Amino acid sequence: MSHHLFLLSPSDTPLYSLTHHSTKPVPSVTSPLASNLPTWSTSAFAGTLTALSGASSATQHTSGGAVRVGGGQDRHVIQMIANAGLDVIEDVMRRENTMYLKSVDKFNEWTVSAFITPGNMKFVLLHEAKNDEGIRQFFMEVWEVYVKTMLNPFQTAHTAIRSSVFDNRVRASARKYL
Amino acid sequence: MDTHPFASLAHFRILLIPVGSILQTAFETYAEEIRSFDSLRLGEIPTNTKDGRAARFLPNPLSKGNLLLSFPTHPPPQSQSMLSLVRPSQFPLAVIGVASCSATDSLKPLHNQFEASLGDIFPEGSTYPLVRNCFAFEDTEGTVNLDPGDNLPGLVIVPKIMNRKLHIGTLLGVLCSQVLIELGELVQALESPIGNEYLNATLMPFLPPLSELPSSLSSLSRVDSLTALSSPASQPELSRSSFTLGAAPTLKRNASTTVPSKQSSLGIQAQKKRLSTIGSSSSHARLYKMLGDFFLLSGRTEDAMIWYTEAVQLFKSTHDPLWYACTLEGMATIAIIDAWIAGQGLNNSMSSVREPWTDVGDRLQQAINLYQKTPAPDGEQMHSLLAFLYCECVLRQTSLLFSVWSSKGWGPLSFTSMLHPGPKPLLPPTLTSGGDSWLISERLSTITGITRNSISASLAQLHGPWLLHLGQRERISVLEAMASFYACLGYQRKEAYVLREVLGCILDLLVCGREEDGVSQPSTVPQSAGLGIHNVHPIGGTAWGTVGVRLSESSEGNASILGLLKHVCKVLSINLEAVGLVPDGREKVVNERPSLDEYDEDIIEELREPCGWPELQVGVVREAVAVAEALPDFPTVAQFALSSLKTLQNVLTPGDQYHLYSTASRALVTARRRGDSRAVEYWSGRPIVSISVAPLPMIRVPAEKPRSIQHKVNDLKPLVQGLTDPFLYNPRKAAASKGKSLVVQNEVLEFVVTLQNPYIFDLELQELSLSTSGVAFESQPLRLVIPANTLHQVVLSGKALEPGTLTIRGCFVQAPGGTIREYILPLYTSQEEERIARKRRAINSENGRSKYSGLERYSWKRTTHRISSKAENSSGPSFQFLECKAVPEQPLLRIRRSSVTHGALMLYDGEKSTIRLTLENVSAIPIDFLHFAFEDSTIEPAQKALADGNLSVFETYETEYSLIHKPVFSWDQDDVKKIGPSNNLTLTLGCFGKVGCTNGTIHVSYSFTADPNIKDSDVFYIRQVSYPLMVTVYHMLECSNMDILQFPSYAQRPMQRNQDLKTGRLSSLRFEEDAGWCLFSVEVRNTYGLPFDVTLVRTQDGESGASSVTTIPPGSVSRLVIPIKKILLTEDILSKPIPTLSDRQFVVTHSSLSSSEQKAQRELFWYREELFNIPKTGGTRSGELSFRSQRMTQPMVDVFRLEVAHVTLSLDPNSKPGHALTGPRPHFKVNEFVELKATVVNLMPSPLVFTLDFEINPVEYVIFEGVLTDLPVGRLENGESKEVTTSLCFLTSGQFEISAQVRGFGGTEADTRIARNHISVVLKDST
Repeated sequence: MSHHLFLLSPSDTPLYSLTHHSTKPVPSVTSPLASNLPTWSTSAFAGTLTALSGASSATQHTSGGAVRVGGGQDRHVIQMIANAGLDVIEDVMRRENTMYLKSVDKFNEWTVSAFITPGNMKFVLLHEAKNDEGIRQFFMEVWEVYVKTMLNPFQTAHTAIRSSVFDNRVRASARKYL
Repeated sequence: MDTHPFASLAHFRILLIPVGSILQTAFETYAEEIRSFDSLRLGEIPTNTKDGRAARFLPNPLSKGNLLLSFPTHPPPQSQSMLSLVRPSQFPLAVIGVASCSATDSLKPLHNQFEASLGDIFPEGSTYPLVRNCFAFEDTEGTVNLDPGDNLPGLVIVPKIMNRKLHIGTLLGVLCSQVLIELGELVQALESPIGNEYLNATLMPFLPPLSELPSSLSSLSRVDSLTALSSPASQPELSRSSFTLGAAPTLKRNASTTVPSKQSSLGIQAQKKRLSTIGSSSSHARLYKMLGDFFLLSGRTEDAMIWYTEAVQLFKSTHDPLWYACTLEGMATIAIIDAWIAGQGLNNSMSSVREPWTDVGDRLQQAINLYQKTPAPDGEQMHSLLAFLYCECVLRQTSLLFSVWSSKGWGPLSFTSMLHPGPKPLLPPTLTSGGDSWLISERLSTITGITRNSISASLAQLHGPWLLHLGQRERISVLEAMASFYACLGYQRKEAYVLREVLGCILDLLVCGREEDGVSQPSTVPQSAGLGIHNVHPIGGTAWGTVGVRLSESSEGNASILGLLKHVCKVLSINLEAVGLVPDGREKVVNERPSLDEYDEDIIEELREPCGWPELQVGVVREAVAVAEALPDFPTVAQFALSSLKTLQNVLTPGDQYHLYSTASRALVTARRRGDSRAVEYWSGRPIVSISVAPLPMIRVPAEKPRSIQHKVNDLKPLVQGLTDPFLYNPRKAAASKGKSLVVQNEVLEFVVTLQNPYIFDLELQELSLSTSGVAFESQPLRLVIPANTLHQVVLSGKALEPGTLTIRGCFVQAPGGTIREYILPLYTSQEEERIARKRRAINSENGRSKYSGLERYSWKRTTHRISSKAENSSGPSFQFLECKAVPEQPLLRIRRSSVTHGALMLYDGEKSTIRLTLENVSAIPIDFLHFAFEDSTIEPAQKALADGNLSVFETYETEYSLIHKPVFSWDQDDVKKIGPSNNLTLTLGCFGKVGCTNGTIHVSYSFTADPNIKDSDVFYIRQVSYPLMVTVYHMLECSNMDILQFPSYAQRPMQRNQDLKTGRLSSLRFEEDAGWCLFSVEVRNTYGLPFDVTLVRTQDGESGASSVTTIPPGSVSRLVIPIKKILLTEDILSKPIPTLSDRQFVVTHSSLSSSEQKAQRELFWYREELFNIPKTGGTRSGELSFRSQRMTQPMVDVFRLEVAHVTLSLDPNSKPGHALTGPRPHFKVNEFVELKATVVNLMPSPLVFTLDFEINPVEYVIFEGVLTDLPVGRLENGESKEVTTSLCFLTSGQFEISAQVRGFGGTEADTRIARNHISVVLKDST
């Protein structure tokens, strides 16, 4: 089971992204409709288009450690889902006051949970199984680390986070809660 | 385009097809007329059948239901034929051929064509359509016989009459009635046992054509049904009690309730029994569902509901999820239709706890779940249809929620939008009104209680891997519907995502279509993606039309796909139209008023903060380019690629940049080859970094001079002052140097242009030329390649064609295949810098803030605000451009020859020599003004020393003297020289060896001052040609130890001395008079390797010239002596301060000398000046030695200066006259009195009182009268003489020295100046 975390700036630019593979099994609830088909994010939908758009883009997809054809997840699709989830997140966040928006959106096998910081940073997590409390704690920890990172005067709301400390801590939290 | 209306299950489909040669517009008109009947009241349908058969689907008279009509123009694809029983509403129940006819005789072929096209559309043996009619519309009134006759069944002529619409309505009613009768026939076939077997055979059963059913069965069923189902409506009255029918209260309204129920109930039970006996293995659930479907189609909702309920009852026990789900969908549809019929009555139910639509929604959700649980069928086609049904069901549920949401709740508006969606089904007026979209949708959510994300969640069920099962056509249609829902919800990113998938599907079709066509080479695209390509009909919908477009190479429909692309990219904050696409062939347009915004564009662009998701952006952009290339639309390919290069330059990897650039270049080349008239705008940001005028070669630089200097002879001031500026920073000078540079008309002018290329690839520019205004300028555009990631300098040359001001505004640039764009480049004045800096600050300070987030942040939405705010103050700052002043054509001079070999001049110190220069006028313009200026290496240090001001007054004078009177080069500018075109002129210049000079330059300024072009102006232009020289000055003779001595008084042998002087080299020392002369001597050392003749020449006013010559061998020293006359300088000369030769101003005399010292200094100076006017030396190579380096001391001055008085002493024995002292030596006797006579002559210009002192040595042997010292002489006028006489008596023989000293009395200055004379007397014994 894998999780995908994206930290998005107010202008929707990802400042940090993490793919976390946990050992927990994927809950398989497949419809007979999709019986003989792979999951959406691994399928080669619009393969013609991808093939036509050039090799460089394809290699970029596989750079996330996933192999495109062999059942891995298409990073581009994951990103598209995360990006599309922002619509619902923006809608819901204006209505609700909470920072943690659990399972705001579902798309295919992915559930999108989000966490909105007061600075309008959006932490978007794509997950497959229901784990509300764990995700909440994970988000809180990421937030704390993020705030610490933002204390750096050279870090603005629009600069990518490249700190290895941040990365390690987020990974540790992911291992802990996800 | 397929729409997925909510009530599609109840839609009575009638296919409209064009027949014969009918214009598209005509077809559209007629189709529109037919379409205006979106529902038909049941009461309007004729119930009387031709053959008197009682059709059970025909409505009862006066029944109030409606037949919902829909008129598609496309037949369902053949792949859906398996749905014919599961989903009968998917198929057209009737076909209307629309034809136009002008004459009766054309009807026959029309009919044939209609039949033929029907044969094409519907395969042999398909169940539908049930009725085929052809409407021939009359073009002009009354031309066609309205009765076509019986030989053409199904052909109806629609006359052109006033109330044609009414007529069409009647015709439609007849048509529907026929269809309903046919439906009855169909049901009869299904009700037969074998029909039921067919129905239950597979998941998606297929009924063979009625004619192919075994006749026995058919006849049997016919008989059975005739007996059993004689009544038009059948109602399972008995089973009603066991059900709670939702529609029960409304049942009364339906006219069909009036039907005697008993018979029908009996009938159905009888039927049930019989069916169960025949098809014992099959349940009747499917049959009841079919009946419900057909009743729904025929507008009789109560009957439909009853049958559906029956079916549900049965399905609950059996496992048939697909059919169960279909039934539930039908029931959901009925609920809405009933509500619609009931009108506003249901508004009251708003107060109930559960919203009224939740029932419907739940039912649909149940259906969705059932569809999902349907076990996977065997065939791929079945799979596809199953997925399609599932998707339709999800869309139906979403549509329900959306309609209720967008229509502000459960009401007529929402029913109408569900039942009769217009051509734009998803854009209700509530959403299209202006204002904040979020506010509007929130209001809707609050009113209805349906949130947007719940609609979205419902819709999201649609998307899944099963989409891959769908046929291409269905997939596109379903995804399109999904995208539209998202768009209407305001979920733009989701919409963009789905649209990308739509594009992917379309592209699959494109590529597959190409492969089918054999146009392209086989690629690696999986063949399975090409499903359904055979079904392409030439007049397909938009999605299908695209395929046709590709085949016929027409560009129709491309625009829509490109529009989709642009929309998707826009949502991801990429502006694919950042680089415009404009018609080619535009000429250079010099916009007189350069726009500030355009100029600042790059700054804004540069500081624009990153926006959007870079990886996604790159992916989408690559896709966009690929799609545009596949269409193919080559200019757009270039536009997309270049726009993304421009806007995404920061995030594109080198590989992507290269890919996009090469794609764009390729596309542009192809577009050009194919004769496309569009071109892209210039795209690569601001390529120009700077423009500067390349400095002209020195000989061509013109300089502007005022007319006044034309005849000015000489000006020493600049020479002495040099170019030094007293201020370290002189703003005026800085401003002056930035002024216009002067260029010459019709002469090549070069501009250095610095270009930048921030990209990873070599940027090719097809044209680079200067944009100028002002005077005409002729230049050749340049084609060049800027290397990757560098700054690159190029030289653009051109000519100003007329005199005047030439303004360089910037550059025109043109990329290959693009249009020309002007980039202005104002000067970086401080004002401009300040403005840009302010702009940057403003943007930077705004950058960190997150007032807008998400999509609202994207820049193009805000640029409009920005521009509008800029519009007001854009008139404020005006640009300053680089300007050149073009002056009229100038002559050109060159140095053709010079007498100096190798440019090296060798001189001895002080040597005077000449050099000859030959100048040639190489232009066609005469030269009438020549001016020489010289420069040498001694000037600058001297100027520097003078400027530093650390020199004493004396040294200052010397330095200045050397600068002015001893120049290395000199030219006697006697007359104005004229040099005609291509004429020569030879000039002689003097040069002078000056120690320390190492090089020098001769500057020749020249001009054609009589140029008619500048006759009136007060300035003229000169050019300069320079001739640099190496100068070597040998220092060979050194003067030292200058001295000035008194003549010694050799009174005893004056004659002899004179005789000696007459001969030899001492002859120069001859002098006439003893007094008033002194000796000037100097040592000359020859430090050079050659002997020199040195002549010391005396040239003194009023005296005869004299010289002393000597040859000094190398290394030796020789002293040269010459007598010079003493002089006396007048008081007023001496009182003058030491002059400066320039009019330098000494602000502070920093001498702290006392006045006496100052006086002494001045005295020294002036006497020295006088002295140096006298002696001259000469050498072999006719040079002059300067004594200027010699110091003069006070004793020397004392000697050189004439005394105050002249004293003459004489001794007269016994007062006898005639014994002059100077005469033959007198003999004085011891012990005799002699008279000592001293004659004092005042030599001073002013009267003076003198005193006289005598001194006699040895004084012990002399007796004298009175005192010898301080003898008053008295006041003497100038030149007046007075004798002072005293008596002496020598007491012994021997030699006596008698001296006299005259000194002034009273005058302060005269004190020190004593005139002396002395005589010596030798007394011998008288023996």
